[in-house]
Amino acid sequence: MTHKGVGEGRELTAETLARVEGEGAMRVVVHDGLVTDVQLRIYEPPRFFEAMLRGRGHTEPPDLTSRICGICPVAYEMSACHAIEDACGVDIPEDIALMRRLLYCGEWIESHTLHVYLLHAPDFLGYPGAIEMATDHPDVVERGLRLKQAGNALMTLVGGRAVHPVNVKVGGFYRFPTRAELGALRPRLQGALDDALATVTMASGFEFPDFEQDHEYVSLRTDHDYPIEAGSFVTSSGHAFGVDAFGDWVAEEHVAHSNALHARLRDAGPYVVGPLARYTLNHDRLPPTARQAADAAGLGATCRNPFRSIVVRAVEIVVACEEALRIIDDWSDGPATDAAPAVEVPARAGTGHGATEAPRGTLYQRYELAADGTVVSAQIVPPTSQNQASIESDLRGFVQARLHLDTEELTRQCEQAIRNYDPCISCATHFLDLTVDEA
Amino acid sequence: MSALVVGIGNPSRGDDAVGPLVAERVARLGLVGVEVVTHDEPLALVEHLAGRDDVVVVDAVRSSGGRPGTVHVIRVGPAPLHRDPVALGSHGLGVVDAVELARALGRLPRRLTLVGVEAEGVEVGAAVSDLVRDRLEDAVRAVVESLRERVDR
Repeated sequence: MTHKGVGEGRELTAETLARVEGEGAMRVVVHDGLVTDVQLRIYEPPRFFEAMLRGRGHTEPPDLTSRICGICPVAYEMSACHAIEDACGVDIPEDIALMRRLLYCGEWIESHTLHVYLLHAPDFLGYPGAIEMATDHPDVVERGLRLKQAGNALMTLVGGRAVHPVNVKVGGFYRFPTRAELGALRPRLQGALDDALATVTMASGFEFPDFEQDHEYVSLRTDHDYPIEAGSFVTSSGHAFGVDAFGDWVAEEHVAHSNALHARLRDAGPYVVGPLARYTLNHDRLPPTARQAADAAGLGATCRNPFRSIVVRAVEIVVACEEALRIIDDWSDGPATDAAPAVEVPARAGTGHGATEAPRGTLYQRYELAADGTVVSAQIVPPTSQNQASIESDLRGFVQARLHLDTEELTRQCEQAIRNYDPCISCATHFLDLTVDEA
Repeated sequence: MSALVVGIGNPSRGDDAVGPLVAERVARLGLVGVEVVTHDEPLALVEHLAGRDDVVVVDAVRSSGGRPGTVHVIRVGPAPLHRDPVALGSHGLGVVDAVELARALGRLPRRLTLVGVEAEGVEVGAAVSDLVRDRLEDAVRAVVESLRERVDR
């Protein structure tokens, strides 16, 4: 962080943003008491993966894209699978879809727990980081690690590995876990559900600044369930569109200060994806225990304060544990494990679209395939690049109202405001250093 | 007598692959009583460290002015490690954070050694640099020596 005193303005800078995933920077310029510029700069080589995918076979994108992020590999795999299967005109049977949802629950548990406990909670409990927090609150950190390990265990059983699952392929899985294997995980997930409920209680007790934002929300939505591994788009202004219409509704544009493309919604401009959007647009889809937990936490049917995202994330950990238990129980009751773990996905020329709910927001992919399955073009739109314009807009208002703070404290609070979005800098192929320039 | 070698790093990011590459070579040696794992998320270390006698962590590092390929061996003692961005993990919490978090929770193994290999580049999609590739066996040797010291003690 650097502090510069230039003329009558201030410039706040943080060259390395702590406790966000990946690498990036933020710069806020204040002049004559007005915030004149807010920039999130993104350093990660943009679009590298899109270029790398061209010329590859149609079965390769799930494996290759899972390498983009160590935190949400399943999201990349699942959106890629959907898009390729869509291009090839293949429908996926229910049992495979359910197993995908189960795997995805593991990623939600892992990723949300990492963010809630080790990245975001220290802000609310007044610690510079998780290590200092662990010294005073070992029980809290131990609970977080235990939860995260339950997510790991689920990922390892269904995905084959805790990070970068190797059991996933276009069309389904190489193998299904057996009913016995799934059943053996049940006690651990039951414990995780209890820990998740304790997480909601903890997070709802934090103090939140008054910071309601009128962002346009975008999320997937399904007929029955809370959106995780599937759905079609809805927006808070009442629009609905299919995954295949994403390109008609969302425009990506280059901005000079960032390697990432900023996404904008047609007619509505910047928008937000992620826990707050999912929750607000799908409150009626919460499973019963998660809904009770949300009610008890005082969340209401909508949530518009980005600082409360930690509570919503905690509720979504409950969703993931509850859904995982439901799927495991349904599985052991039915003949599903006898079914083939994958369907054939023969190549054909075409374009396909896939979108799923990564922990930090909707992740969209589009592939154009040649007749032999060769990838002609690929497009990857990660959640963080969709949120980037809204994060900048949040910071603008946030800093303006806090110019009385000293630079160090203001920078710290800005970092917290950025962490509200759990930005993944490496995924945003796209992302983050914090520079609050007060020039 | 439970020894563990952990290779940390992302195989798709140039020299960040050095952790997993060294770990794989150590695994091929088939040392008795030595388990080898690779991970690209440094925080996973916290889960691996508890209850072990001896852990060696291999990761890419960058120090000011260090020559790429240089192998650093750091014995983790009672003093906290510097939390400068020594480890190159592309994520919010690096190897040093993971070690210090484990320490705060009383989860450090009896003996913990970090073998860091000075990285040249960690661009997404890049190959491992020649300078680092040439020193892979040195890093393997550093890991094995660290494990041997334990046995010889």
